[in-house]
Amino acid sequence: MSLIQSATREITLNLHSRPGARLITLLMVALAFVVFNTFLIISWNLQSIMDREENLVGMEVFLRRDISPGAGRVIGDLISSLQGVKSVYYVSPEEAEALFRAELPGRTDLLDVMGNDFRLPASLQITFDTEAMNQGRMSELSRAIGAIEGVEEAVYGENYLPGLIKTVTTIRRLVILLGIVLVSSISLVVFYTVRLSVVRRSLTVDIMRIVGAPWWFIRIPFVVEGIFMGVTGSAGGLILAAIVSKVLSSAVTHRFMPLHWMTLVILLGAVTGTIGALAGSYEKER
Amino acid sequence: MLVTMGGVRLSYGRWPALDNVDMEIRRGEFLVISGPSGAGKTTLLRLVWMGEKPDSGLVEVIGFRSDRIRKRELPRLRRKIGIVFQDFRLLHARTVFDNVALPLQVSGTGSRVVQKRVISLLARMGLSHRRNSFPYELSGGEQQRVAIARAMVGHPVILLADEPTGNLDPEVSREVIELLLEINRGGTTVVMATHDPRQVPAGKGRFLFLDKGVLRGADRWSELDQDS
Repeated sequence: MSLIQSATREITLNLHSRPGARLITLLMVALAFVVFNTFLIISWNLQSIMDREENLVGMEVFLRRDISPGAGRVIGDLISSLQGVKSVYYVSPEEAEALFRAELPGRTDLLDVMGNDFRLPASLQITFDTEAMNQGRMSELSRAIGAIEGVEEAVYGENYLPGLIKTVTTIRRLVILLGIVLVSSISLVVFYTVRLSVVRRSLTVDIMRIVGAPWWFIRIPFVVEGIFMGVTGSAGGLILAAIVSKVLSSAVTHRFMPLHWMTLVILLGAVTGTIGALAGSYEKER
Repeated sequence: MLVTMGGVRLSYGRWPALDNVDMEIRRGEFLVISGPSGAGKTTLLRLVWMGEKPDSGLVEVIGFRSDRIRKRELPRLRRKIGIVFQDFRLLHARTVFDNVALPLQVSGTGSRVVQKRVISLLARMGLSHRRNSFPYELSGGEQQRVAIARAMVGHPVILLADEPTGNLDPEVSREVIELLLEINRGGTTVVMATHDPRQVPAGKGRFLFLDKGVLRGADRWSELDQDS
């Protein structure tokens, strides 16, 4: 039997030993991940709400009626180069009229009263990066845009916009901070749970050392166990969170987290499980 | 010389476990290291299999020096040493066969050789009928014989036995001592640590007495008896 075959055998034996203790470890890891996954689901849904709100952080720039569509787009390009501007969209007079009719169907008579020759002015719809925005910067931009040749007027929600920007920015920062705290906590819980499970088998490590097993031979079964417990525990946490999410879906409208977030959760489980197992085996091998 | 120790000192915290120990272990001898509990017998054996390194002084075992050996070389040294403990240290989830085969498996020995050597050794130890049993199904004496088989399966140069009879009744203890003497007659150097050197018949080995980490020599157990 080659050393690799022996190591594979050790891995299999290790995974089959102490099923009760392993189940408890898996449950602990899974429960820790349920808490983390709940946070991720809340964050994901909050993110969607904030993205929607963020799109309201904008400015409407009306162009003079004598400005051609080409000149209007040049002004748009100039504005998009300003710091803090996320996007600029040119709205032609025809599009403006169509939008008016779509958004205010009860007030189309106002357009009819103005006669066939009346055209709504072309405009530019501007959105901003909320992270780089505050009330002072917004007023500054409004003045700068208003001073551009061809601009009739720059309008934005002076009253509500600063508060909205501040709220969205604060919530984003809080979510990131809480995320860091939770990732650290979950990593520690998984790390110590797996480490403890490995340390409990100190006799195996002792005997392996005494009979002259190389260090990698001693550690590899524990590393595989760490990966197994991390991946299975985090996947179990995802399944439990999905069940809770499904049960609550009729009471609270929400979406489950996206696939790439789920992949990251499992990866986090695998990494912390591996590090925990390595630390546990190293501690006993010294 | 298989083992040489010169000016060895080792402390656990403020407590000296071994103090200025000079000793040699000769090829083929049966060495009995005796002394009361806490005298440093286990520490001395740990120095031989390099489970510990001395704070000062030098230990040389089969050409491996304590001041030069690298961590990755330790398995090579330990495969040349068989170790038996008072508490047997068997893996309870594995059969007698698997426990005995372990040293060969961790060194990558082919499965046919493993099979042949383990079966032959179990027969010599009178454990053939127990090959598929688990350690918890065996008596204390049988467990110690399995531990000795595990220590011997790799044909070690030295067999270290740390209080091998500590958990056994007098009758079984005599059987274990006889087994160790037989192993020694086969050419393997045996070093046995015990609190009761009278278990080893007079004239069957060299005796050293360890007291509070200080080593004293004695040619016969009767002298040792008087000293202690």
